Amino acid sequence: MKRAVQNLLPALTGAGLLHTALFTDLYLRYVKAGLRPLLIGSGAVLLLLALTAAVTPAGRRPAEHADDHGHADSHGHPDGHGHDHTGTPRVAWLLLLPALGMLCFAPPALGAYTAARASDKPVAVQRGFAPLPATSPLPLTLTEFTKRVRQDRSLAIEGRTVRLTGFVTPAGRGGGWYLTRIVFSCCAADSQTVRVRVHGRPAPPADTWLEVTGTWHPRGTLGTPTAQAALDVRDARPIAPPVNAYTDDLPLTPSS
Amino acid sequence: MEKTDHPAGVARCVTAEPAGTTVAGGRARPPGVRSWRLGVRLWWLGAALLAAACAAAVLGPAGTSWLEHPAVQAWRTVSLAITVQALPFLLLGTALSGAINAFVPAGLFARVLPKRPALAVPVAGAAGAVLPGCECASVPVASSLIRQGVPPAAAFAFLLSAPAVNPVVLTATAVAFPGNPAMVAARLLASLTTAAVMGWLWLWLGKEEWLRPLLRHRHTGHRPGHSRWTEFRLGFRHDFLHAGGFLVLGAMAAATFDVTVPGTVLDAFSGSPWLSVPFLAGLAVLLAVCSEADAFVAASLTGFSPTARLAFLVVGPMVDLKLIALQAGTFGRAFAWRFCTATTVVAVAASVLIGGALW
Repeated sequence: MKRAVQNLLPALTGAGLLHTALFTDLYLRYVKAGLRPLLIGSGAVLLLLALTAAVTPAGRRPAEHADDHGHADSHGHPDGHGHDHTGTPRVAWLLLLPALGMLCFAPPALGAYTAARASDKPVAVQRGFAPLPATSPLPLTLTEFTKRVRQDRSLAIEGRTVRLTGFVTPAGRGGGWYLTRIVFSCCAADSQTVRVRVHGRPAPPADTWLEVTGTWHPRGTLGTPTAQAALDVRDARPIAPPVNAYTDDLPLTPSS
Repeated sequence: MEKTDHPAGVARCVTAEPAGTTVAGGRARPPGVRSWRLGVRLWWLGAALLAAACAAAVLGPAGTSWLEHPAVQAWRTVSLAITVQALPFLLLGTALSGAINAFVPAGLFARVLPKRPALAVPVAGAAGAVLPGCECASVPVASSLIRQGVPPAAAFAFLLSAPAVNPVVLTATAVAFPGNPAMVAARLLASLTTAAVMGWLWLWLGKEEWLRPLLRHRHTGHRPGHSRWTEFRLGFRHDFLHAGGFLVLGAMAAATFDVTVPGTVLDAFSGSPWLSVPFLAGLAVLLAVCSEADAFVAASLTGFSPTARLAFLVVGPMVDLKLIALQAGTFGRAFAWRFCTATTVVAVAASVLIGGALW
């Protein structure tokens, strides 16, 4: 029974990792895409660990080794892992939470709640801007739009119709609402927000993904840091949440 | 302005001093009683969380109101995210530690390291550069090194330096601070200094009885008559279950901070040069960001002085909520709180000295 539990926890964790990283794209809600091979490898190793233990006959197990952990602990530190001699620490039960979370109750990607409280990602200073393509409406990321508005001395963005994508975050004061992207460099714990204020339309429900078309909302002097990254909206239509939700890239829509 | 800020900084240093001496002195209560109580508390916490998880599993699809609350959702996302991104590195660490126990001949590391512990400390600290990955991997490896007969002081120097000075982390730092190689150099230097000082501090003041009995017994992993592979497998599984549980605990604590404290609080502290250093050091402890990503977070804290950001980068890989949980589980609580307190003080001091010299 206890032996089954010992193998159940690694097996569930491994299966959860494989489920999020190999069979679905769910891992992208939590970590960067580059971690995928590591997650798949970890899931496979954990499953293998549980499987080899399960097929090893009980008689061949050196029980002494497992005992050693238990005995040594129970001398001085009965601290939540000393009593059972099979060596399953009680704290290990906590692994059930992420395992079940990955397997069946995957929490959603971060959204408006976090965006409203996170700090703004600083926009890097760019020297020299290439001429804007002639397409209209012009697809831009929120960061590119902010750069063009606040740094581009050639005022290329003036009068242009742009198309931005992001999700809706309510703005507290100052009117309008925010079109937002959450960006992280490793996992959802180090998230930062990129946002553009949108004017001219009542706020849609928070967390709605939108494709917004419009022109710069003139406030401040264009091409200087006094200019506000804001948009007068002409058209807004709901879109499916993109696969690369945690980047400020032009959207990749899920293949349906 | 300076007059009001200065005493705050001085007061901080003064209050840090007695903390250091109590670390050196005895303890107030017998450790067994305290750790037993903590153990019971931890057990209840675990039971409560498990009950909550079961409730969530049963009620989740039905759509209860509090589970749908965005704050709860964000908490679940962040705690799962920290756990998921740390799992591969934890697995690497526990596999390495299992392999060291089962396959490396007893006493090999002790023979390779300099005989005098005072010399072994900086050597082990510099050796941290070879373990690529983040901080979760280094805890199980350090514990297996101690079991192999490496002096604890040297193992702790390795534990502290490995997540901060390896090439992966230094490259990430260089990418996050473009055109500012001084930050990379300062991070390397301050981390190595802190690791060495902590190793020497352990030689001077450390007591073996703070460590778990398991580590004190120094049993070497392999015994004649047992299959090395089976020993590896059992050690690996035990270490993973143990460290994994504490990782989840630490991730939940860090997620709680992440979700309840808004990022705008940061702006309140960025103005004062004296408060900003301890504030960012404390933030590094509470945020528990992986050491491969913390440079990007530090780069985003634009309002703060370079010295304060350096303190964030030096403290983060050495002390944070998930590491405290991991160390308490691996080395024992009596050790973890003393070691983490002292490391924070030393790391902040090293950052202030090196940052002050550079900027």
